Amino acid sequence: MYQLNKVDKKFPGVHALKAVDFKIGRGEIVGLVGENGAGKSTLMKVIYGAYQPDSGTVTIDGKAVRFQNPRQAMDHGIGMVFQEQSLITNLTVMENIFLGFEQQFVRFGVINWTAMAKAARHQLRKVKLDIDPSTVTSKLSFAQRQLVELAKVLTLEERIDGDLVILLDEPTSVLAKEEVELLFSLVRELTSRASFIFVSHRMDEVLELSDRIYVMKDGEVVDVVEHGQANIDAIQHKMVGREVDKQYYREQKQHPYDSGKTLVRFDRVSVAGKYRDVSFDLHPGEVLCLVGTEGSGREAVLRTIFGLERPSTGAVAIKGNPFHRATAQEAVARGVGYVPRERKVEGIVNGMNVYENMTLSQMGKYASHGVLRIREEKALAENWIKRLSIKTPDVYKDCGGLSGGNQQKVVLAKWRSGGSDIFLLDHPTRGLDIGAKEDVYDMIREMCDDGAGIVLVADTLEEAIGLSHTILVLKDGEIQKRFDGSPGGKPSPFDLVHHMI
Amino acid sequence: MSIENLKPYFPWITLAVLVLLVGALNPSFLNPASLVQLVADIVPLFIMALGMTFAIYIGGIDLSMQQVANLVTVVATVYLVQYGIFVAFLCIGAGFVIGAASGWITTRQFVPSFVATLAMGFIALSGARFLSGERALSMNADARDASFGWMFGNTVGIPHELVIAGLLLALAWFLQSRTTFGRALKAVGSGELAAVASGLKVDQIKILAFALSGTFAAIAGLMFSVKLSGGDANLANGFLILAIVAVLVGGTPLTGGVGGVINTLVGTLIVVVIRSAMVYLEVDATMQQMIFGVILIVAIAMTIDRSKMRIVK
Repeated sequence: MYQLNKVDKKFPGVHALKAVDFKIGRGEIVGLVGENGAGKSTLMKVIYGAYQPDSGTVTIDGKAVRFQNPRQAMDHGIGMVFQEQSLITNLTVMENIFLGFEQQFVRFGVINWTAMAKAARHQLRKVKLDIDPSTVTSKLSFAQRQLVELAKVLTLEERIDGDLVILLDEPTSVLAKEEVELLFSLVRELTSRASFIFVSHRMDEVLELSDRIYVMKDGEVVDVVEHGQANIDAIQHKMVGREVDKQYYREQKQHPYDSGKTLVRFDRVSVAGKYRDVSFDLHPGEVLCLVGTEGSGREAVLRTIFGLERPSTGAVAIKGNPFHRATAQEAVARGVGYVPRERKVEGIVNGMNVYENMTLSQMGKYASHGVLRIREEKALAENWIKRLSIKTPDVYKDCGGLSGGNQQKVVLAKWRSGGSDIFLLDHPTRGLDIGAKEDVYDMIREMCDDGAGIVLVADTLEEAIGLSHTILVLKDGEIQKRFDGSPGGKPSPFDLVHHMI
Repeated sequence: MSIENLKPYFPWITLAVLVLLVGALNPSFLNPASLVQLVADIVPLFIMALGMTFAIYIGGIDLSMQQVANLVTVVATVYLVQYGIFVAFLCIGAGFVIGAASGWITTRQFVPSFVATLAMGFIALSGARFLSGERALSMNADARDASFGWMFGNTVGIPHELVIAGLLLALAWFLQSRTTFGRALKAVGSGELAAVASGLKVDQIKILAFALSGTFAAIAGLMFSVKLSGGDANLANGFLILAIVAVLVGGTPLTGGVGGVINTLVGTLIVVVIRSAMVYLEVDATMQQMIFGVILIVAIAMTIDRSKMRIVK
């Protein structure tokens, strides 16, 4: 019924979808799995009309269609239930359900609320939700809101002729066990009204619910598994299985760390709502990698070390001294350097030049009584431009105009030149091309040899494994497992995935 | 050279074109002596615009400046006899405290600066009304001449007002371009999140920026009061919009991070030329505010960095 034929999508520097074939029949539930960055979200966006494919065709019942925007896709029966819920919380349930489609209830320019409530009740019955449609949405539980969202999508049934395809993006990620069961039985019943595309990190759920599973990796569909033949292990191998080149991650340069000293100690630290009971030690020369899915708490751990999150319980000590009033200033003063994920927003200051960016965290060292010694700043910048071979015409170049890899080098130079020896790297290679990535890997090894400790949240599992001495796997804010990553004894991505999802 | 590269020079080009245009219409405009006098007359406005530059440079705005200046004219007039020249400290201290309070409300209570400063402005206005008893006060002429008479003298044909303006400009320029504080202001204006992630004390820097704008407002008020030899809760009315126009026309956008005090000098001169042109062209006084309102909107629309703004409310 709904079909994608050889759909291709490219973004600058990324081939996001490579000739993807995909089909879904009436009343089917199709699962979609893959690692972060495998192309799942791009594929979904093509399906619900947020992206237009560069080549290939989309057909519904054999007829080619092209959607300019999600609204046109909806008119063809394709609806999306968003992971981050798209309901407006200060509107009532019925206002949300009919948002943008109120015209049908309007008489003489005024909305007939009774009619809308009646129609909303009809929609809510489809998802077996027995609530007053005039309830304000913020009063509902998360699971209830999800059902309202589903009811909203199901209004398509009355609005259009033809079949419905509904995308569910990670619908279970924040639901309790019983709520998941309820949702699943509901989805199964609703197959009489619509087909579903189900995207989830939780392999067991995908297996349980789906008639067919598409496995994606690097923008390609690498396997299509029917319900009966699905096997978790086989699918996970397909998802991650690629040979890891040892040279690529500079494993030959990985040296043992100094376990005699401790740079950062976490003792049963919790941050309310983010993570619980996390303990670890970071030593000089160690790369400690936090692995987990989005929302597993790995970024929050980094932010705690940098003083941007305050622990609710437990103790953080940096170089033996406890962190009392956590602030970023104190963290910087104690030698912590933070390389944030949003390089263009948090990493560099767009609009300031190379030397201004490099000394931003350490202006005090280049000033007497608050007056800057700009000549020394420039000398520092020239020195580090040479050392890290940063490609910039001169020290006056606006950092916003540098390439991603060179921006990242400027951020690293900022902390290294300031004498930081605890580095927090949040997706340091995100969006960089291969050459720039390798430069970053070289720098990580170099910093370790200088006695620095590194806490890393990597872009891919291979990167995490290739670079780290120690791997902590987090799931739902708790440490699941600790792996040793010494060269020769590194775990496989498959070992990690087991504990992540 | 593309348009984008030329953008920083737009204010200079505008100024040059306007001067030539007005000079062509009215050749006596270009007479050096009258030009000097023209510029000297707007020194209080220029000082207020200098202060406004700091607030706008970090991406905020200070709407209290006019009222702070009003308050200061009253304070200066009332306490001049009692404290003599030291009344200046009282005035400047009041400006600093009001500005710092606005900054504290903005950063610690998360009230957007335009509301925080608007509210502080009304508080200052009430203070001025209370202190003046809602009357226009006159300065004691002897005390004024003894303490502040030097402000309005001439040395080799240069009015002292211009010297004061020059010194304040140099000070503001030095703060902005040569100190860690100025660098931090730029970082906060261009990329506040990156400034936080670099461990800068962003709140403190912002509070200080507003304190500076309050201080400059107070200096402007003091000079204005001495110049007119009096104090009144409405004396500085009409300055606010001109100060904002001067900053924006000079090339410091509301989104902050670029431009600076030199731009404000150019912007103030543009405002002066436009104003005198309107006088020559006999534009009605009531119309002038309207014209500046239009210029303000055009200047904002032209200078604002839309990539920094996701939602405008």
